[in-house]
Amino acid sequence: MWFEDIEIGARRDLGSYTFTEAEMIAFAKKYDPQPIHIDPDAAKKSIYGGLIASGWHTAAIWMKLAVGNRMMEPGDKKLNRAGVSPGFEDMRWLKPVRPGDTLYYSSEVAGKVDLKSRPTLGLVKSLNEARDAKGELYMSFIGKGFVIRRPTGE
Amino acid sequence: MTTLYFEDFAPGQIYRGGPYHVTKEEIVEFAREFDPQPHHLDEEAGKNSLLGGLAASGWHVSAMSMRMFCDAILSRAAALGAPGVEDCRWMKPVRPGDDLRLEITIMETRASKSKPQLGFVKMDWRVFNQTEQVASFISSPMFARRTAHVV
Repeated sequence: MWFEDIEIGARRDLGSYTFTEAEMIAFAKKYDPQPIHIDPDAAKKSIYGGLIASGWHTAAIWMKLAVGNRMMEPGDKKLNRAGVSPGFEDMRWLKPVRPGDTLYYSSEVAGKVDLKSRPTLGLVKSLNEARDAKGELYMSFIGKGFVIRRPTGE
Repeated sequence: MTTLYFEDFAPGQIYRGGPYHVTKEEIVEFAREFDPQPHHLDEEAGKNSLLGGLAASGWHVSAMSMRMFCDAILSRAAALGAPGVEDCRWMKPVRPGDDLRLEITIMETRASKSKPQLGFVKMDWRVFNQTEQVASFISSPMFARRTAHVV
């Protein structure tokens, strides 16, 4: 599939992920060493009442599941992604993620942008979300990815 | 070191963080766990991609930026978390051997109407590489505690 084949509104479930305290602490020690992310005792005394995941960890798991999902795309549905992204917009960390929480991630095509500067590529914007089993929204952001346009002649 | 409260932040202030030395091992380790696309794992695959060589996942660049932000500001600020990120741009590939630094510009400060103990501090983050190119840009608000409410 090429940029031209992508339909706005198309939605994919990317799977779920259960956060463990050990992984939350390991990520945060490297990249976000705030007491609420690395120190269960300090976190208990904070406004959050316990350890919570770094928002960047919750977001990185979206990428992990998205890549895993792409690998399972059947051949005729395989999207010709350029594999790079210029960034994202409007990341919202709405509810704290706690040890043992299981989040269900999804991605929905929100928009397509033609690129004058890169005639062989298009930009696809997606609304990406993480919810719990009850459907409560924990995280959302607008992702951006370059997708290859159908070569002329195909 | 004195703690930074909401009142200590003012538009136009610049805070600096880093350096962060990027290694191939760390790029590959992060990518294996969170973004296992070939151009973040393998030199050859990187060369054949738009990145023109092995480069860090954008999420890794953001995570490294966060680490510099923690060390430069959060470790000494009366910070109360962040509701999210308004805009994040990955502008230049970040490669093994790069030395990154962070420049934070305070853009706006605003007391919270609903929560008198809090204020919003809006910041622009710029991540520079060793050749002074901006590799990444982030626009993000942070909550900070107000001094009047310190007990």
